[in-house]
Amino acid sequence: MVFRRNFLAWTKYYRSSVLLNFGEPLTNLLALGFGLGAYVAKMSGVPFIQFIGPGLLAVTAMNAVTFDMTFEAYDRLNQNGIYQSMVTAPLTVGQIVAGEYLWEGVRSLLYGTIFLIVLLLLGLVRSWWALVLPLPLFVTGVLFSAPALWVAARASNHEQLFYYLTLVITPMFMFSGVFFPIGRLPGPVRDMVEITPLYHVVNLVRALILGRLRPGLIGDSLWILAYTVGLAFLPVRVLRRRLAE
Amino acid sequence: MVVAQGIVKRFGDFEAVRGIDLTVEPGTCFALLGPNGAGKSTTIRMICCLTPVTSGRLEVLGQPAHPGNRALKRELGVVSQEDYLDPSLTVKENVELHGRFYGLEFQQARMRAGEWLEFMQLGTKANAQVRTLSGGMRRRLVIARALMGSPRLLILDEPTTGLDPQARIVVWTKVRELLGRGVTVLLTTHYMDEAERLADQLVVIDQGRILRRGTAPDLIEGVVGRDCLEIPACAPHQTQWIASTLGEEAGSIERQGDTVLVFSNNMDGVIERLRQACLLPSPYYRRRASLEDVFLRLIGRDLRE
Ligand SMILES: Nc1ncnc2c1ncn2[C@@H]1O[C@H](COP(=O)(O)OP(=O)(O)OP(=O)(O)O)[C@@H](O)[C@H]1O
Ligand SMILES: [Mg+2]
Repeated sequence: MVFRRNFLAWTKYYRSSVLLNFGEPLTNLLALGFGLGAYVAKMSGVPFIQFIGPGLLAVTAMNAVTFDMTFEAYDRLNQNGIYQSMVTAPLTVGQIVAGEYLWEGVRSLLYGTIFLIVLLLLGLVRSWWALVLPLPLFVTGVLFSAPALWVAARASNHEQLFYYLTLVITPMFMFSGVFFPIGRLPGPVRDMVEITPLYHVVNLVRALILGRLRPGLIGDSLWILAYTVGLAFLPVRVLRRRLAE
Repeated sequence: MVVAQGIVKRFGDFEAVRGIDLTVEPGTCFALLGPNGAGKSTTIRMICCLTPVTSGRLEVLGQPAHPGNRALKRELGVVSQEDYLDPSLTVKENVELHGRFYGLEFQQARMRAGEWLEFMQLGTKANAQVRTLSGGMRRRLVIARALMGSPRLLILDEPTTGLDPQARIVVWTKVRELLGRGVTVLLTTHYMDEAERLADQLVVIDQGRILRRGTAPDLIEGVVGRDCLEIPACAPHQTQWIASTLGEEAGSIERQGDTVLVFSNNMDGVIERLRQACLLPSPYYRRRASLEDVFLRLIGRDLRE
């Protein structure tokens, strides 16, 4: 229990440094949304910007943690030895990972909520259900932290982190129903998309913002939870090995 | 405090530590000496519970040392060879946070951080960014941080490497003060004067094995000889004469470039003998032998690649 508090203390310290670089993805994503929106007609029965807004919110949540858990975590392990000093003080690898997840969950929640406020100001939030969003946002943060941290722990240089971003994150970003409904994609591609976690996050977020609740969302939620739990333990072993070298 | 019996560390098929035995008595300062790559840090890391032993028995504070032993880790203060400071935090935050990792309450961590920073003469730097510190300050900060858990055993891996003479003296003074408070200290160093000044017991390690152990004076008398006579600009045949003249009298004779070093526990006798044989040129230098001589004798004078 004491340790949980320690984590909070630690995450608090981190917030100050981390908040500095949060404006950028938000600005980028907004610019993208507006720029394209002017040229594209309705999609799934709503204006383009109304369609992609929630999708981009999901992406913001994903990116907020992905960059932190790849490059920053890599540095903490290989450059400035922050993880090393943590295991010297008697933290376990499990506690470090849990602390990172907790923080990344909060980060994702924070960035997502700010994005939500922007959507609200633009009049793009259509339902009170949006109030539930912080919960899936937090989970999304944890979900995407795990594979990123795993990659960071295994990587032996920064280039390998880019592989993860360009081969996993970017395709997911392009295809997971952020910019267009996946119904028109060829069958096999669609099947691929349907097993990506981002797709389910996008579905859930969009439904909550538009107020279009349907039974399928339970499936999406279960997918998200399954991914989160399934991936969460992935980095622990690698990290433990790396830190005990 | 530390009992190691035949500890071995293997990385793949490379054996970094090949069976080391050592015992650190409570309240003493124990030093590991050895050239680069000797296996000092690896040994230290096993003792700090940072990496498991491949084989052998290792007990620290009466408990088995392995990375899972958190209760033990909490009793140790560790200064690793790398500083591992958090560059995004201030001096005080680094130390406080470490205290929190050690399980201290917020207030307690804060108080102790203040005390240890003061102790390490960093009180005025408490709010400085870590980046802005000099090497000596960084090292002192790492020591202050290691003290946050009020350890009974403080482990320092090369605490003064790369520091200027003043900074080293500060660190030595503080280590001695801690010894005075009853803290047991285990350190590694490349500096013989550091070992000579601080250590009650020391071991010389090379290629993962202990070559010699003892107190500094023991090692000096046992390995080379208490005093050293340096005779510069000495031709090889003169060296021969000196050697044959002295015979058993000299502890040992060594050439270093064109200088001859004669070590002996009875230097007066040596000088007398050489004078009688008219082999004592001027200038010559007489000095006390040091651990450095011991080290060079044991490890060899040539740079190994
Ligand atoms: N994680 C590792 N994997 C493989 N080899 C390692 C690892 N850590 C250390 N070694 C090797 O083990 C040997 C001993 O290293 P160690 O760091 O213990 O030496 P050291 O005595 O501390 O040297 P220095 O004075 O340079 O710090 C070296 O040859 C080093 O290359
Ligand atoms: Mg070392």
